[in-house]
Amino acid sequence: MTLPVLVGNRSFLALLFGALLALPAFANQYTLFVGNLMLLYIILALGLNILVGFAGLLAFANAAIYGIGAYGTALLQVHLGWSFWAAAPVGAVLAMLIGTLLAFPALRLSGIFLALATLAFAQATQWVLWHWQSVTFGAGGFRVPPPDFGWIPVKQDYGIYFVSWAVTLGLLLFTWRIMRSRIGRAFVAMRDGEIAAQSLGIDLLTYKAMAFALSSFYAGVAGALYSGLLGFVSPEAFDLFQMIIQKAMIVVGGLGSVVGSVLGAALLVYVMEVLREFKSTQEIVFGALLIAFMVFQPHGLVVFMKRWLPGWEEPLHLAGGVQSTAPGHDTSVAGATSKEHASAERT
Amino acid sequence: MLMFSYLMATGITTGAFYALVALGIVIVYKSTEVVNLAHGDLFMVGGMLAYTCYVMGGIPYLPSLLLAVAGAFVVGILTERVAYRSVLKHGLASVLVATIGVSFVLKGIGRYIWGGKGDYLAFPPIVSPEPLQFGNIMIMSQQLVVLLAVIVVMAALALFFKRTRAGKWMQATASNPKAAMLCGLRIDRIYMYTFAVGAALAGAAGVLMAPLTHLYPDVGFVLFIKGMAAAVLGGLTSIPGAVLGGVLLGLAEQLAAGYLHSSFQDVVAFLVIMFALIFLPTGLLGARGLRKV
Repeated sequence: MTLPVLVGNRSFLALLFGALLALPAFANQYTLFVGNLMLLYIILALGLNILVGFAGLLAFANAAIYGIGAYGTALLQVHLGWSFWAAAPVGAVLAMLIGTLLAFPALRLSGIFLALATLAFAQATQWVLWHWQSVTFGAGGFRVPPPDFGWIPVKQDYGIYFVSWAVTLGLLLFTWRIMRSRIGRAFVAMRDGEIAAQSLGIDLLTYKAMAFALSSFYAGVAGALYSGLLGFVSPEAFDLFQMIIQKAMIVVGGLGSVVGSVLGAALLVYVMEVLREFKSTQEIVFGALLIAFMVFQPHGLVVFMKRWLPGWEEPLHLAGGVQSTAPGHDTSVAGATSKEHASAERT
Repeated sequence: MLMFSYLMATGITTGAFYALVALGIVIVYKSTEVVNLAHGDLFMVGGMLAYTCYVMGGIPYLPSLLLAVAGAFVVGILTERVAYRSVLKHGLASVLVATIGVSFVLKGIGRYIWGGKGDYLAFPPIVSPEPLQFGNIMIMSQQLVVLLAVIVVMAALALFFKRTRAGKWMQATASNPKAAMLCGLRIDRIYMYTFAVGAALAGAAGVLMAPLTHLYPDVGFVLFIKGMAAAVLGGLTSIPGAVLGGVLLGLAEQLAAGYLHSSFQDVVAFLVIMFALIFLPTGLLGARGLRKV
């Protein structure tokens, strides 16, 4: 069985990250920018999938947290004159702290009520970005000085790209490990049944807070890198449509699947760039993708990968809807049963 | 004192309008336990259709209103078929995600057809634009028309639920779907009509409000949030609650804008949603202990 190693999810990731590492050698500036966006969206999709796919908390605040990370990083540079390297970690941690507070409403609310409360939180964040003009410079946005890459032996233009690449790879490996650890299993148990999870000794407050903290840290990191990449931040980049883009990525890739997040993010960044000129078409396409996947394949593209590629392992992949398990589908927790499940599906 | 009475008058009229948006949300939620996130975009579609008929097509106002409401009704049926019936087997949260998909598809279509003609489409006022003077309170006459129309729509809705068989079917399905099915009601069809009636209400609201808000593709979400705040404040399951919530929200917005700062008008709705959901989960008039949190 050498074939599974060749066509499995690990080889897909190795190929993608290898290609992204080699990209600066032959890409022009625009392609490099798109590659960089792809890396950022991989981080965002991983974080959102931890929250929605693994922990089963349907929240709509990720775009706002992403914005807090970007604004935090940029404003520390503009107002206090910090360097990018000092401001970025602080911005990411600030986003994480604010995002973690959302765990408290999540204790009382679930399902659509959590979605509505976080939607309101996201809109309130937008409102602050628009109206707190003395600090955030309002609707027009503002310029951020470019990060200094004197200490990396590459060309200045490539600096942020290689930093993004390294951070993305690091977070991907971290997600991969942590979702297979006790924490990841606790998230999945919580998603599949809160009462059952509690009776197994999983403290809901701790793990919900952890899910929000992890996902908002990812969003904060992506925001910090975004401000360094673009050199400009404005509230529009973090609106509801941004949220829909991220949501579509994890739904298309596969809820509760680490590799699915990468797959969905990489594919949809491409779609987004093809349609960049036409906002209306972007909205229609992303909306239609959400509907189509909810109707025909709510488990995402990863289902097809599992079916067709023998080396594809996704032990904790969500095998139901967003928060419920459809009858006839086995929400397997152990890796072995998942493989049996996959092979049973193939035959 | 003059300012206070002015704020109260404006608050009540805008509040009545939020109540109209909230009513559609409540009716759909009551029977399907789903919040239709595309509700605001149905509002936008209704307004845009009326604009197309009335301003571009030169059709008189009343037929335009009816056409727009009928159009929203049909889009509501489509929404139910696409985002509710075929997704329900995957769970309510999946339905929510599908309705936000519908919301963006509608918004994109709206931007494609009606966007790019300047930022706003100005809908001409139906009545004279002169403000009316009551004692020393000034009210825009369009606001009075909206207030009247809201009262008419609410009365019609009450009659619909009390007097017509379709209304009684909907109430029966909302209170106990299994028993309704056992009595021979085709509940999937009733869900469809529920979505359609909610959409028609949104469409009617869109037409009535168009002269005051103007029309742009993103108007839907703004008003969805306000309607949602009113509905949550009222308890999400109660029709009088939606009206009360709408009026209270309208008053709170006007007072915040008048006494704090005009920019605070918009943030009230977000705060109401967050705090009402967390600290007042059954709302002011919602059914106690029935919500499955």
